[in-house]
Amino acid sequence: MKPQNPRVIVITGDGILGEQETAQAFRLAKFDVEIRHLNDLIQEKLGMDELCRRYSAIAFPGGFSFGDDLGAGKILALKLVYQLGWDLPTYASRGGLVIGIANGFQALIRMGIFGKDISITNNSIGKFMALWTKVTPVGNRCVWLRGIGTIDLPIRHAEGRIVIGASRRAETLAKMERLGMTCLKYEGNPVGSDENLAGLCDATGRILGLMPHPEGYVRGTAHPEWTAHRGRAGAPGMGLTLFENAFREAM
Amino acid sequence: MFARIEIAVRPDLIDSTAQGLLRSIELIYPQLRSQIRWARYLDIYWLDLPVSREELIPALSEICWDRVLQWVFTGNLMPAAAGKTGGLQDLMEVAPYRPGRFYGIERRFRSGVTDCKSKSLIEALEIVLGKKLTQARASSGGLLVMEGPSLDEDALARIARDILCNETLETWTLVPEDGLKKNERFHQERIKYDLPKVQTRGSQAVETFAFGQMSEAELETLSQKRLLALSLREMKAIQSYFEDPQVKEKRSVLGLAQPTDVELEVIAQTWSEHCKHKIFNAEVRHEGQVIDGLFKTFIVGTTEQIKKPWLLSVFKDNGGICVFDDEDAFCVKVETHNSSSALEPFGGGLTGMLAVNRDILGCGLGAKPIFNTDVFCVAPPDYRESLPDRITHPRRILSGIRRGVENGSNQSGIPTVNGALVFDERYLGKPLVYCGSGGLMPRISAGEPCEVKKVTPGDRICMVGGRVGKDGIHGATFSSLAFSDQSPTSAVQLGDVMTQKRMADFLLEARDLGLYRAITDNGAGGLSSSVGEMALLSGGALLDVSLIKTKYLGIKPFELVVSESQERMTVAVPPLQLSGFLSLAERRGVEVSDLGEFNATGNFEIFNGPVRVACLGLKFLHEGVPRMELNSRWTPPAQIPSVSLPEENGNRVLESFKKFGNPVLLDLMARPNIASKEWLIRQYDHEAQGTSVIKPLHTSAPESARVWSGPNDAGVIKPKVTSDLGIAVGCGIQPKLSEIDPYLMAQASVDEAVRNVLCVGAEYGAPESVLALLDNFCWSDPIHDSEKMGALVRACQGLQDAAVALSTPLISGKDSMKNNYQGKRKGELVSISAPPTLLITAVARVADVKQARTADFKSAGDIIYLLGHSEFGTLGSELNSMISQSPQFQLLTGEARAGRPSWSLARKLYSWMGGSQGKQQFRLKSLHDVSEGGLLVAVAECLISRGLGASVWLPSGRDPWEVAYGEGFHAFVGSVAPDDAPALEAEWDELGIPFQRVGNVETHDRMEIYLRGSGSTTTQSVYGNLVFTATIPQLRSAWSKEGYWE
Repeated sequence: MKPQNPRVIVITGDGILGEQETAQAFRLAKFDVEIRHLNDLIQEKLGMDELCRRYSAIAFPGGFSFGDDLGAGKILALKLVYQLGWDLPTYASRGGLVIGIANGFQALIRMGIFGKDISITNNSIGKFMALWTKVTPVGNRCVWLRGIGTIDLPIRHAEGRIVIGASRRAETLAKMERLGMTCLKYEGNPVGSDENLAGLCDATGRILGLMPHPEGYVRGTAHPEWTAHRGRAGAPGMGLTLFENAFREAM
Repeated sequence: MFARIEIAVRPDLIDSTAQGLLRSIELIYPQLRSQIRWARYLDIYWLDLPVSREELIPALSEICWDRVLQWVFTGNLMPAAAGKTGGLQDLMEVAPYRPGRFYGIERRFRSGVTDCKSKSLIEALEIVLGKKLTQARASSGGLLVMEGPSLDEDALARIARDILCNETLETWTLVPEDGLKKNERFHQERIKYDLPKVQTRGSQAVETFAFGQMSEAELETLSQKRLLALSLREMKAIQSYFEDPQVKEKRSVLGLAQPTDVELEVIAQTWSEHCKHKIFNAEVRHEGQVIDGLFKTFIVGTTEQIKKPWLLSVFKDNGGICVFDDEDAFCVKVETHNSSSALEPFGGGLTGMLAVNRDILGCGLGAKPIFNTDVFCVAPPDYRESLPDRITHPRRILSGIRRGVENGSNQSGIPTVNGALVFDERYLGKPLVYCGSGGLMPRISAGEPCEVKKVTPGDRICMVGGRVGKDGIHGATFSSLAFSDQSPTSAVQLGDVMTQKRMADFLLEARDLGLYRAITDNGAGGLSSSVGEMALLSGGALLDVSLIKTKYLGIKPFELVVSESQERMTVAVPPLQLSGFLSLAERRGVEVSDLGEFNATGNFEIFNGPVRVACLGLKFLHEGVPRMELNSRWTPPAQIPSVSLPEENGNRVLESFKKFGNPVLLDLMARPNIASKEWLIRQYDHEAQGTSVIKPLHTSAPESARVWSGPNDAGVIKPKVTSDLGIAVGCGIQPKLSEIDPYLMAQASVDEAVRNVLCVGAEYGAPESVLALLDNFCWSDPIHDSEKMGALVRACQGLQDAAVALSTPLISGKDSMKNNYQGKRKGELVSISAPPTLLITAVARVADVKQARTADFKSAGDIIYLLGHSEFGTLGSELNSMISQSPQFQLLTGEARAGRPSWSLARKLYSWMGGSQGKQQFRLKSLHDVSEGGLLVAVAECLISRGLGASVWLPSGRDPWEVAYGEGFHAFVGSVAPDDAPALEAEWDELGIPFQRVGNVETHDRMEIYLRGSGSTTTQSVYGNLVFTATIPQLRSAWSKEGYWE
C-alpha cells in the first residue's frame, strides 16, 4: 500500500482570503490538503481528538477576516476559541504543526498563543503596505524555519507592527528569547515592529505565526526581480522551504 | 442596557490614525496643522443590548480591550481598562504642553448608513455570549481629541467638515474640554439619545398618477420631481402605453387602473441613460451622413469585422467572455462610478470596486474575480482656486476614492494589478473613477457552457447577500443627470466588503454544485433591472416585494424595487435545487430572499403581499423607449500654441535645449501625470491570490537602505497553478489629445493600451492570439451640443479604425455621458465639463509567463534601442502642457505637430513582439513604451530602480525637443546585451522593423544626453556632443515627488 502523505487542514470562511495559495504551497510540499469552512467545522463539532488524529498540520491563511474590525484577527480568534474550542498548544504538544500567516498570525496572537504581553497593531506609517522584504530566522527552535537563511518574502498588510507590552517589556522579551520564540526578524523594519519582529513561534517551536507570506513565494516568477535572473524563472521560490520543513517534520 | 465604549491607543504608543488625520490636515490646511500640538483618535461604539450589566462587562473586556495596546473608557463599566482615574483626562495628561487647551470632535453615522464595524461588534458579542442578539443595536463613530492654544470653533469646524467627516454620511459635534473630562456622555439616557434611529414610519402606500390627463408641462414636472431623468418624449411614450385600450383592458382585469409609482420607477430605471445607453443607440446625423447607432456601428461593428474564434460572449452579458484555455474562460468588465464618487469619494471608490466584482461574479454562470484595475481622473491635488458649491477638493476626492478601492480590493482578496492616474483641472466638476475586474471560470460548470444564460419558467427568483435599505435610491437615474449643487444624497451608498466576500464564496460553491441556473448582479436600478433583464430569458417574472429582507421597516414598495443597496445578486434557482441552495446559504452565513418566480407571461409583475402594484409588458419595458435622434458635427480646433522647431532657427533651438534640458527633464519627471504612483500602488495588495508575475512596479534588490522601484507597463498574473499561461492587463488613456482631435485621442488610447501589454509579454499577431480591448467613454452631455456629439463620433471612428487595423476586438464597454457640473462658485454660475475621455483596457494572454518582461535596464554595457515609429510630435504632449503652465521656460513657440500612427508598421512590430513573427524576442532584456514625457522620460524610468546610468544620443537634424520629449505612436525603449545585438538587428532588418541605437547602459549614476554631429567640439565624445546631464538621485527625487502625495 502507498504510504499516506501527511494531511493539512486549511481554514477558510468569514473573509479569510489566502486559502487557495496556502493550500497550493502545502500541495507542492506533498501534503494532502483539505480546505474547510469554519462554519462546517463548527457544525460538525470537529473536536481536539479528531483534529489530532486526522491532521498533521493546521493552517490559518491570510485575509481580512471580519474586515479587520475590532483589531485584525480578533473576531476570528473569538470564533476559534468560543465556537470551535480548539486548544492549539495541546494540539502542538501532541505532535501537530500550526502555521498562521498574516491574518492567521494576527488571530494566533489574539488567542494568546504567544503570551498575553504580545499584541499586533497598525504599521507605524499607518498604511497598508504591499512590498517585498528580507527576513532572517533567529535560533533553531522553530521547526518550520529550520535550515533557512535570509530570504525574500512579500508583506501585504495594514496591521503588522508587533508590540511587546510596555509594562513588563524586558522580562517578556528575555523569556521569549530564552524559549526561542522570537524566531523571525526583518532586515530593516518597514512596519516598525518591536525588535524587528516579523514572526513568532511558541515554546515548542511547532506553532509559527508570521506576517510575511511564504506561500506568496513558492514560484520563481513571483519574485519582484526575477526578470533580471531569467535562469531562475522555472525554479521554486524560497518560501516553499517552510512547507517542506513541515512535511519532513510531519513524516 | 446602553453602553458607550471609547477605545484609545495607549499613550506610550504611536496613534497612527491620529497621525494620518494630522497629515491630511497638513496637506489641505498647512496653517491649521501648525496650530495642533497634540492629537489622539478614539473609536467609539454606542450599544443598546438586551443583556445584563454582569453579562456585558466580561464580554466587552474580552472583545474590546487589548491590554497591550489600548485604554478603554466606558464611564464606569471597566474602570481598570484605562489610566488612574479611568477617564479621558488621563490621556489628555500625557499631552506635552500644560496647561493645554483641548477640544474634541465627535463623528457618528447618519441613520441608515451602512456601519460594518458595529455589525461586527454585535457578531463578536454573539460569539462570546453564545446567543443571538436579534434586538441589539449598535453604532460606531470616533472622537478626535486635539490640543492647541489657538484653535477656535472655526478651525475645528473646518477640520470636521473637510477632513474628519463626510457630511452626506456623518454628523459631527464639537466637544469642549470639560465635556471630555466629565463622564456625562456615558449616561444611559444620553447614549439612548445618541444612538442613531432609523425612521420606520414610512407608509406602504402606492401612489398612482392620473397619467392620461397630464399635459406636457405636467409630465415634465413629474419627471423632474421624482428624479426620473426621463425626457418629455419618453414620458409621452409612457403615457401612450398606458392609454393603449388593450393595455387598459388588461390592467383593469388585474385590478390596476392608473400607472403606479412602482411602474413609473421601474420604467425610469430601465430607460435610464445609465442602463439603456440611449446616446450610444441614437440615430446620429453627422455631417450629412446618418449613423445607425454609434454602438451598433462602431463597437459591435468592429468586433463583427474582426471575428475571433476565441470570443465566447460579447456585448450580451455583464462583461466580455473569452477563451483562456481548453478548460477555462476569462471575462472582463470595466465600470465607472463618477457621480457617486463626486458626492462621497470613499463610498464611490468602494462601491465601484465591489460592483464591478459583482459584474464578474454574475458574468455567464459566475466567475471568480482574479484581478482588479482602477483609473482615476481628477483635478491636481494642489488645486488652489476656490471651489464651486458642493464640489469636494480634488485632494480629498483622490484620497477617498483610493481608500475605497483599497478597502474593496484588498479585503476581497483580489489583486489590483493595473491602473492609471490622470490629472487635469477640468475633472474638478466630476472626477472619473474607472473600476475594472477580470474573472476566471470553467468553460463547463455542472454540465452547462459558462457563456450561456438560461432561465426556465418556474425558476425561483432569489435575492442573495445584503439587505435592502433606502440607500442608493435613484443611483441610475441620478448618474444620468449632470452633477449640481442640488444632487440628492440618497444616491450615496457605502459598501460592506465582508457581506460581499461571504456571498461570493457561497455563490462560487453553489455554481460548482449546480445549485442555480442563472445569475446576475444587482447594480444600477436594483431589482428592477436585474429581475427585469433576467425575465427576458424566460419571458416574464412575478415578484413579491413583501418577501424582500430589509435593513429596517418603512421602505416603500417602489423603493424596495429600485434601491441599489449593495452586495446583492439575483439568481434563478430551479425549484428542485431550492432547498439545497438555501441550506448551503445558511451554512455560509449568507441571507437569501425567495421573491417569486420567472414565468412566460410576457409581463414583469410586482406584488406587495396580496396587492398587485405593477404589471408591465416586457416588450414595452425593454423596447419601448423612443430612439433619440442627435445632431453631430466636428470643427477642428484653431491652432494650439506649442513648442516647435522653426527650421531657420536651428541654432536658437539648440541653445534653448542645452539651457533648459536638465530642468525640463526633471520637471517632467515630477509632473503628477508622470511622477511615481508608488505611494498609491503599495497600498493596494497587487499580489493577492499568489498569482503575481509582473507587478505594477519593478524593484531592485531589496537589500539597500532605500529600495527604489520603477514603473512597469502592465500587470501579468498566472491565474492557474497548473499552467504557465498568463494574463496581461494594461490600459491607455489620452484625454489631452481630445482638444486636438478626438479621432487621434481614441487611436492613441488603443495604441497605448496594446503597447503596454506587449511590453510585458502579451501574445499578438496570430489568429489564435488572445488580445481584447474594452472601451469606456466618459463624455460631457452631448444631447444638446452637436460639437460634443461630433467629438464622440470622431472618437468612435478613431477607435474603430485603430481596433480594425490591429485586429483587436472590443469585447465590453460602458459609457458615462453626463460628466458635467452646473452650479455656483462664489455666487457666480459656473459650468465645468470633463474633457472627452476614453479609457481603453487591454487584456491579453501571455503564452508563457516565464518569458514575461519588465521595463528596467538590467546591466551596464547593454545597448538601448528605440524600436518602432519615431515620428514624435509635441502637440498634445506632456511637455506642451508643462510649458503652457511654466512661464520660466522661455522656449520657442510656433507651429507644432502631433504624432501620427502608421498601423502597417505597428502590425509588423507588434507581431514580432507578440511572438508570431521571428524568434529572437527572448533576447530583449527589457521593454518600455514611449508615452507621456517622450523618449528621455522613458529612458529615465528604466534607470530609476537599479540606479544604473546611461548615455543617450539624439539624432541630429531634427528638433531635439521633439525627439527628446515628443510623444506619438508605436515606439518603445528596449535593452539588449551587446552579444545579442547582431542576431536581433538582423531579424529586425529582415522583418522590416525600424530600430535605432540610442544609447548605452552605464555603470555611472548619470543620464548623459548627447547630440550627434552638431556644432561645437568642446565636449565631443564618441557619442556626439554632451548637451546636458541629469543624475539618478536628481531623477529619483523629482519622480518620487515626496511630500506631494497623501
